[in-house]
Amino acid sequence: MNTVQRSRNRALLRFVLLPMIFLTVALLGGLRIDVDTHAFIFIPPPLITLILSVLLMTLFIRGHAIELRRWVTSEQSTLTNISHVLTLLTLYFASAQALNSVLPERGLLFWLFSFFFLWTLWNNQFSNFDARRLLRSLAVLFGTAFFLKHMFLASLFAPEGGWAKKVAGFLLEVGTLGTLDYQVFAPATGYISFFTLALYVGGLILLTPSPEPEERSALALLRAYQNLPPLERMTVRASIMEPQTNQPALAQEVSTETETIEIRGEVVEAESEDTLAGEKEKGKR
Amino acid sequence: MQHRLIQSVGIAWTILYSIFIIWIYATEPRTFKEVAAGAQAATGTYEIDQGRFSAALEMFHREQFRAAREEWQLADPGMRDARTQFYIAYAFYREGWGRFYYDKDLFKQGLDVVNRAINLAPEGTLVVDDPDLQMHTAAELKAELEKGLEPGLGDINPFKVFRKRK
Repeated sequence: MNTVQRSRNRALLRFVLLPMIFLTVALLGGLRIDVDTHAFIFIPPPLITLILSVLLMTLFIRGHAIELRRWVTSEQSTLTNISHVLTLLTLYFASAQALNSVLPERGLLFWLFSFFFLWTLWNNQFSNFDARRLLRSLAVLFGTAFFLKHMFLASLFAPEGGWAKKVAGFLLEVGTLGTLDYQVFAPATGYISFFTLALYVGGLILLTPSPEPEERSALALLRAYQNLPPLERMTVRASIMEPQTNQPALAQEVSTETETIEIRGEVVEAESEDTLAGEKEKGKR
Repeated sequence: MQHRLIQSVGIAWTILYSIFIIWIYATEPRTFKEVAAGAQAATGTYEIDQGRFSAALEMFHREQFRAAREEWQLADPGMRDARTQFYIAYAFYREGWGRFYYDKDLFKQGLDVVNRAINLAPEGTLVVDDPDLQMHTAAELKAELEKGLEPGLGDINPFKVFRKRK
């Protein structure tokens, strides 16, 4: 693939595919299916999801999943900047709707889930993250919320559930003085939510920290190093210092030699064992 | 040059898709049919099924109000035609009207539908020239439905049995 094709593909991803993915997430994140009529119910993002989405965006910037200075800069043309701002906006609304998709719609559970999201995202603001770790952490966070809402709670409050489920649901309602107020939807809602979250995480994987590949890779490396926890920094330092003491070519030679020695050693050992056994047999005779 | 084209297409596509999402959340369609009907209405190509409309009108004249309503709902799945909505509201009124009492549930539903018809009508005025009807405007029908829903001393008036259905 030549440079022109690569550049065109990158532009297609950045200007067309990513906004499309994030807007589809924004569309499907609020979609529920009515349990009785199977009609669509569109739930706009509640205020708390917009706030959580702001926290998510700051987390993306802090974790260098988005290099804001590279996405929007005076060095680029106005059209490119507009396009990038639109992509980031779609990411913001997709994040809000992805959260909307895994939050219960009302009642105590809505506030509990919101609180836990707020707590986790707020704590993450003060943690060291690189883009890959952040993505993994978010995938786990959304996965857990999805499991709790669309599998555990949906199963507990399912209208066709057995008596044990109904009793558990009733006890939960009574125990929370009726504040639980869980809204039941058709099972298709869970499938839509799963697809939405998969699309959202897929979009995040495709989202690069900077729109164009970083030319000054040393700077990027330095930044990545600064984001590491102290222990891992030590490991990086040690691995950098190791080849400096020995020349790379020399190190390769040494390693080849070591391998040869090891192989030879095994062979020699095997031979020597045979020899020893033979000698023992001779001795017995 | 190619880059610029991709950017322009991307911006246009993003804006159009965003408008579509806002429209979906604003109108809250309940089925794919309603989505399609809404899109047709937005582009000015929406038309009701005239065959179903006429069939429903015949049922209405035969006082089969429930069946007529269902047929009109099929004729206007997007609920975008003011005239059809007016007839649906009228069917609610006629079915809910009683010599001794009004069916408040049907009247409430009728009121919702007539309000929708008024919203759909240009400048909020809807006149239906049908000689078989006694009320020809949506405003008259709305007033009649509201009157039926309001509790008053008239409810205990024994002479109300002589009132006439419109």
